[in-house]
Amino acid sequence: MSLVASSAAAWTAPVIDYHALAPEIVLAVGLSVVLLVDLFTAERNKWLLSVLTGFTLLGATLPVLTLAIHDDSVRSLFEGRYVVDEFSLVMKGLFLLAGYVIVLLSSAYVEEGDYWRGEYWFLLLTSLLGMVMMSSSRDLVSVFVALEFLSIPAYMLAAWRKRDLRSNEAGVKYFLLGVFASAVMLYGMSLLYGVANSTLLVDIGESIDLDGDFAAVQALAVVFVVVGFAFKVSAVPFHTWAPDTYEGAPTPVTAFLSVASKAAGFIALVVVLLTAFPAGRDVWQPFVWVLSALTMTIGNVFALRQTNLVRMIAYSSVSQGGFVLMPLAVAGGAAGDAALRAVVVYLVVYAATNLGMFGVILAVSRKTRSSDIASLGGLFSYAPALGVLLTIFLASLAGIPPLGGWIGKFAAFQALLTDATPWAYVLAVIGAVNSVIAFGYYGNVMREVWMRPVPHGDNTPIVTPSSLQIALGITAVATLVLGILPGVVLHFGDIANLVGAFGG
Amino acid sequence: MPEPTTLSYLIVAALLFVIGTVGVMVRRNPLIMFMCIELMLNAVNLSFVALARELTDIDGQSIVFFVLVVAAAEVVVGLGIIVAIMRNRTSLTADDMAELKG
Amino acid sequence: MSVGESGVSEFLRSYLTVGWFGIAAVVLAGLLLWVASLVRPSRPGHEKLLTYESGVDPVGEGWSQSQVRYYIFALLFVVFDVEAVFIFPWATQLERYGTFGLVEMGVFVFVLLLGLVYAWRKGVLRWV
Repeated sequence: MSLVASSAAAWTAPVIDYHALAPEIVLAVGLSVVLLVDLFTAERNKWLLSVLTGFTLLGATLPVLTLAIHDDSVRSLFEGRYVVDEFSLVMKGLFLLAGYVIVLLSSAYVEEGDYWRGEYWFLLLTSLLGMVMMSSSRDLVSVFVALEFLSIPAYMLAAWRKRDLRSNEAGVKYFLLGVFASAVMLYGMSLLYGVANSTLLVDIGESIDLDGDFAAVQALAVVFVVVGFAFKVSAVPFHTWAPDTYEGAPTPVTAFLSVASKAAGFIALVVVLLTAFPAGRDVWQPFVWVLSALTMTIGNVFALRQTNLVRMIAYSSVSQGGFVLMPLAVAGGAAGDAALRAVVVYLVVYAATNLGMFGVILAVSRKTRSSDIASLGGLFSYAPALGVLLTIFLASLAGIPPLGGWIGKFAAFQALLTDATPWAYVLAVIGAVNSVIAFGYYGNVMREVWMRPVPHGDNTPIVTPSSLQIALGITAVATLVLGILPGVVLHFGDIANLVGAFGG
Repeated sequence: MPEPTTLSYLIVAALLFVIGTVGVMVRRNPLIMFMCIELMLNAVNLSFVALARELTDIDGQSIVFFVLVVAAAEVVVGLGIIVAIMRNRTSLTADDMAELKG
Repeated sequence: MSVGESGVSEFLRSYLTVGWFGIAAVVLAGLLLWVASLVRPSRPGHEKLLTYESGVDPVGEGWSQSQVRYYIFALLFVVFDVEAVFIFPWATQLERYGTFGLVEMGVFVFVLLLGLVYAWRKGVLRWV
């Protein structure tokens, strides 16, 4: 049997660069500790868990920093299957910090609910570990395992309030569509493996040329894999799970799904498109173009009609996903570097802004117990700080100049203009029109906050827990700084500007 | 009857995959939809194993291990969520899930 | 992939044995039942036609709901059973992978044990 013979060659233990793996190891140890502490502590001491989770995330950020400072920028492990380059470090930093903000956002929410607390932190850490792994994966197997690693805990988090029908429903919809997407993607992967005789993304990149006897199979494989990821990033027409899941899931979990989980889907898509299918761009560029145009437009049109704030944010985040896809529609050509930078910048800015947005929603709903847009009426009159913050975040999401969201949109349009093809210009026009439409619903919320009367005349101020205040502070500062000093984030974009470094 | 070739295995895999996909889209019971997804995953496994044999490469077979284990984890999580729903309500079809308008 | 020289391939020939075995089993069992029906008396009554449930009177339909606790055990079984798929290939190459393999498998088993400890602390392993 040749299969056995091929594996019987001399075997040497792989050399493992523990420094490069340190963030993952810290997270893995941290989540084991959280699980054990949860099992062996009394109910009244469970507040320890949120602290432990926070420290684990900060602890995992340290090696990311030391790796970033270190000279040799690209560390390739396991024959290029797992790569720590600057792109992956930026994304790891983003995931860990976003995770930390989510811990701050959710600690009060989790403490006050009567649901399982330990599991919440454990699942959150597990999902974040999957995302950190995803940033470095450069092989079909590691991409798949990382994707499932981040998704499976997220399904459980969405259904976390298990006696609440809405949460159940959110969980089951997310689960069924997520698993379906994985299956579609896996089938595409099996075809890729058959065509390339390798699971390494770089090798696949050399084999996929849409030429020869298997051109049709190659095209099919590319489409299947892109469709799989389109589900994960809730691109229209594969977005149907997103609004229901976002509305039904516990609000901090919604923040997590709409920011971290989505970013992970996007970076996986970016890595696969740019390293595995560079020569297949005739297939995926038009496909991503259509996805992007549909996602922006449909997301916006539905967002306009919503009266529920969380549901509106859900559709708005679908539409924001379209803006992230926009530069990818030209990423195969001359604008590849600009497109990559645009995606990274957009994800960083979007994470800061959207987390802040959810922070305000959580703070306000502690008083109003409602998520209707109308419940925000007169927010500025009784909670001026929250009113101003909400306005900042909304303006940033809409892309108004001095704020972070503007620089994200700017980078995305710049990528399209760099490409300078008619199709890129058409997409840019569609994007511009959508930016204007988005003012409609963001402005509507602002009008509630500033001009409408307070419902029931209830003017009692809102008590915001300190953890939530810190989270709001971090996100507000990030949103402002990214907008006023775009150099900070564009620099991140620059060091991420290393397509060749993928795969080592 | 001729020797089954890699192509015949791939055709079976493609058929299984299509049956699973159609099942997910047509059926409305989450349990049945989930079974159809499992069918799709098994189609993927068959496809990987057939290709690994054709390419005489062990990687395709080791991927199947990962797919199997992930599928088991998904079964456990999925059935857990579905049981949680069953405890809260009596019937179980996707159309009844209109608590969240979608 | 070796194709047999004769008309029937090696692949199918090995299944031929299974086919013969199946036919023999069906014929033999049929024969025995037929011979038995010739010699035994036949006096059906109400009690005899009831479904046999270990001597207890049958209650309800065949499609009855079973206890949810069976189901939790089944789930636990599925998870741990499938994880074993990673241990088998390692076990066949135990010596070749040496200390490195041992440590790796130790980590793997530790993670599995975490799951078991979780199940134990949550009281899943107790038959309530």
